[in-house]
Amino acid sequence: MAHAAELGRRELRRPLWSVRPAVLLLLPAGLFLVVFFLVPYLNMVRMSFLTKAQGAAFTNVMTLENYLRVLGDAFYWRVIGRTFWLAGLATVFTVLLGYPLAYAIARASGPRRPILLMLLLAPLLVGAVVRSYGWMILLGRVGLINQMLRALGWREAELMYNTLGVLIGLVHVYLPFMVLAVAGALEQIQADVELAARSLGASPWRTFWRVTWPLSLPGVFSGGILVFVLALSAYVIPILLGGNNVLVMPMLVVQMLLDAFNWPLGSAMAMVLFGLACAVLWAYVKVMNRALRWIPR
Amino acid sequence: MASIQLEGVTKRFGRVVAVQGLTLHVREGELLTLLGPSGCGKTTTLRLVAGFVTPEEGRICFGTRDVTHLPPEHRNVGIVFQNYALFPHMTVAQNVAFGLEVRGIATSQVRSRVSEILERVQLRGLEDRYPHQLSGGQQQRVALARALVINPQVLLLDEPLANLDAKLREEMRFYIRDLQREFGITTIYVTHDQAEAMVLADRIALLRDGVLQQVAPPEEIYRRPQSRWVADFVGLCNFLPGRVLGREDGLLVVDTPAGVVRCSGAVEANRVLVCVRPESLRPHLGGRNRIVGVVRERTFLGNLLDLRVACPAGLMLRVQLSPSEDARPGEPLQLEFRPEDAWAVAEDS
Repeated sequence: MAHAAELGRRELRRPLWSVRPAVLLLLPAGLFLVVFFLVPYLNMVRMSFLTKAQGAAFTNVMTLENYLRVLGDAFYWRVIGRTFWLAGLATVFTVLLGYPLAYAIARASGPRRPILLMLLLAPLLVGAVVRSYGWMILLGRVGLINQMLRALGWREAELMYNTLGVLIGLVHVYLPFMVLAVAGALEQIQADVELAARSLGASPWRTFWRVTWPLSLPGVFSGGILVFVLALSAYVIPILLGGNNVLVMPMLVVQMLLDAFNWPLGSAMAMVLFGLACAVLWAYVKVMNRALRWIPR
Repeated sequence: MASIQLEGVTKRFGRVVAVQGLTLHVREGELLTLLGPSGCGKTTTLRLVAGFVTPEEGRICFGTRDVTHLPPEHRNVGIVFQNYALFPHMTVAQNVAFGLEVRGIATSQVRSRVSEILERVQLRGLEDRYPHQLSGGQQQRVALARALVINPQVLLLDEPLANLDAKLREEMRFYIRDLQREFGITTIYVTHDQAEAMVLADRIALLRDGVLQQVAPPEEIYRRPQSRWVADFVGLCNFLPGRVLGREDGLLVVDTPAGVVRCSGAVEANRVLVCVRPESLRPHLGGRNRIVGVVRERTFLGNLLDLRVACPAGLMLRVQLSPSEDARPGEPLQLEFRPEDAWAVAEDS
């Protein structure tokens, strides 16, 4: 008793700086984010309201004109639409291709599991640029696939510098993120729950659709957010595999900042993309929470 | 309703034999507990009956129907798992309705049968809760309702009370017993808890290393164990090694280091172990089986006194007396037991 009281007293008399070690642990990463992310970002927000100047990046005159230009131009809206459409398609296809793979990984036993995981993650060691060039070698007009098609006497296929090429690149690069998220969710499912469904009269397929699939949705949804956001902000892949035929917002932003040297307008475009992305994600999370209301919170 | 027959069933996992040559008949409407230490093959046996695994050898029949190679969804078996295995994404009502829905039963009928069974297990009013919003005991009853609502031929329970606290476990034992009797359903109940097996079972099947040791009603298992292992596994037991001198009035006369004793038994062997339960040893019975020893240790257990008594030839006996028959460490103690309370098993059993 006396011992416990002594311990309690000691806890109360701890020096202030030792009260919350968790805060200290967050500090390095927090500082890094503030200096290299938050400050530049806030600066960009400010810049998007400034005026373009001759011979300088901007002058300190506040205006809404940048936003009016972006939002009032049908061209930008078409590009925004295409950007979201491509990100959405990439998300859908990573689910379609990734789910079976995730299932195989989650259900693999023995040495097969680490091998499958290694094969999945190995491409991440190679950057998106290199992988996009790799796809160019495969998909290009004189690429491997078209050479084979020609050799077989078939018509050449347009695989690159169009939506298809960009989509292939996006799906390929972001697939591992989806697979990891879904495999994680699948591994959370108790084997007995599926067996219970079988014993209650459900066939293997029925068990999958009524039990396994709904229980894996948390993984599909979180993988979906990840892939969608990554695909929305993709720059290298669209520029290499889409060329100038598939314009997306990140490409326009970079052009505006670096080529047109119009920092205020480029910033405003980035902000519009960011705002719309937030709106879409908000709606997405709403839908997700409805579908996953069975999860304890 | 159907009987369950396992005929020479063997199941291996790689090189490990989980169940070996198991022949077991569960009678129609009977509750049989599979009892044994962990890893003895009892859960594997249950999974064989459920159809989650198929045996390498042998046959499994429900009544006259061979189900050995039938997938689980065609066996019409109700199962309650140790962790309940409720569908976390479905409400109580949806969980219970699942088995009826996959059978293609009309919605209106599903609804009435679900509410009927929920009434039976006292869960009315919780239809729209999700499993995580229920207590352990409530989850347990949802699992029972879900298994019973499909009118299964056979009910399988895999340590269903293991995750409940002691008090609730005690209650649920009787609850499950009553429910099983009410439905009159053939049931296999897996447990490693012998008290649970004693309370629940019509008969107990004891498994050890995948091999069946004895199948008998609880009282017979306790009083007439077939081997040293059975006597040792179920309850506490003293073993007096000895040599059979002869038979007299249907009793065995055995020469033990503690003296010549008379006991019952059905062994052919000459070298035997006389099994005497701690509560069968009493200070004064006026019988002929008498052992004299010295109390070494005394533990007060409330309703019992637990003694260790040192006897001739290094024999240490475990004795449980009522607290009114007190004995102190260091005191000599004369113990007696009735021949019908002692049971001889072969020494090498």
